[in-house]
Amino acid sequence: MAGNVLHAQLHLQDRQLIDHRTGRLLGKVDDVEFDLDADPPVVTALISGGQRIPANLVVEVDTAVKVSNQDLDLDRWDDWVERKIITKIPGAGDAAK
Amino acid sequence: MKKLIAVTLGILTAIGGFVDIGDLVTNALVGARFGMRLSIVVLIGVIGICLYAEMCGRVVAVSGRPVFDLIRERLGRRTGMFALIASFLVTLLTLIAEIGGVALALELASGVNYLLWAPLAALAVWLVIWRVKFSKLEQVFGLMGLLLIVFAVALWKLGPDWGHLMHQATNPHPTGHENWGTYAYYSIALFGAAMTPYEVFFFSSGGVEEKWGRSDLVTARANVFVGFPLGGLLSLAIAGCAAVLYLPTGIKVDTLAQVALPNAVAFGKLGLAVVLIGMFAATFGAALETALSCGYTIAQYFGWQWGKFVRPREASRFHLVMIICLILGILVLLTAVDPVKVTEYSVVFAAMALPLTYLPILIVSNDPDYMGEHVNGRLTNVLGLVYLGLLLVASIAAIPLMIITKAGQ
Repeated sequence: MAGNVLHAQLHLQDRQLIDHRTGRLLGKVDDVEFDLDADPPVVTALISGGQRIPANLVVEVDTAVKVSNQDLDLDRWDDWVERKIITKIPGAGDAAK
Repeated sequence: MKKLIAVTLGILTAIGGFVDIGDLVTNALVGARFGMRLSIVVLIGVIGICLYAEMCGRVVAVSGRPVFDLIRERLGRRTGMFALIASFLVTLLTLIAEIGGVALALELASGVNYLLWAPLAALAVWLVIWRVKFSKLEQVFGLMGLLLIVFAVALWKLGPDWGHLMHQATNPHPTGHENWGTYAYYSIALFGAAMTPYEVFFFSSGGVEEKWGRSDLVTARANVFVGFPLGGLLSLAIAGCAAVLYLPTGIKVDTLAQVALPNAVAFGKLGLAVVLIGMFAATFGAALETALSCGYTIAQYFGWQWGKFVRPREASRFHLVMIICLILGILVLLTAVDPVKVTEYSVVFAAMALPLTYLPILIVSNDPDYMGEHVNGRLTNVLGLVYLGLLLVASIAAIPLMIITKAGQ
């Protein structure tokens, strides 16, 4: 196989997750899930904030990991804080001047 | 031409932004007790912050990533968490000291007790963070902070025996009532005040806020290598004023009014007015920086969306962290704890957290994965390691010295 050789511990663990379409910051990689039965073992998913990100949603691995957030809900806690608190403050949706 | 203006503006902002409540209080206190005999520590501290801020600026300009974002990647989750907790608590304590400083400056200007000003000051800090653009808030308060140059002018007007001050500066040891214990303790405090962790968090996150790229490396370096040393000169002027006015009579500095007084002695009411506006701007600017840094460190550790480059609702947890920190700040100040004492402790605790802040910067700026050809040169690494050794000594000695000297008494 000719693809880039990545060291999972070094290149995936604790890396920043970014939405590849919007550039939004989505969290850090808390854990990496492997299929050890495969030969060689392959990464099957990344875990972040208790959520599982299947490997096929990973778009690019650079100094940050870009993922497709379309079928995931990695924004849910940010959305929760936004709904419950931040949007209730006037000006929450305004750009700074 | 436009570039020149940007560089000049950056430098001026860096000078004004360099001095905060920690520098104001510690330098005046030390000047009153030791004269200029600790100047060498300010010099060492300024070189240290220049060295590491340059690395941070380079990391941001090349990789587009701020420091704390990378601390966890390089140290792992556990050590990263330890660094986060230490840096965050110190930054929170500094935030409380800065808000207290704003309130004290307002008390001096108005005669109204600082306890009434503290909640208003915190609210104003939040409003500015909530509404005002990043570049604007940095420039306005940085430029207003330049008024603190009045300390340098006042020192000249007071007409000191320059030879005597020079003699003190070139004889770095304790005299009179002071001993090596208090000398070392206040060295650590000055070191902590000059290299406070939030400065690099703010500097590197600010680089992302302002979308620095490789072409901005020149601007970043000019800010650091010209702006910070001139800010350091301001620190020395504050110490010099206290050395001239208080050292001969043995008066100890423990209020912000005493820090400001030399300007009133030199220039009367006008001097007092200028220094009060300068102190207000410097502490208010630093309150903004520390509040933002509280949000930056936590959001960057957990990978949350952060920054003022998005609307508040798009970085909701980042803004929530800052709101909680400001409320905590108000509550602590309303216990009537002396903000000057909070400041004195905050700089010593800052010194303790320094190695945890600065080691990851040294590691990341040597990592070709992030930096490509812009990794540290050999000289930078040698100096970086020497400073890391110094920081480690200061960090380990801080608590024992605090106990032995009863916090410098």
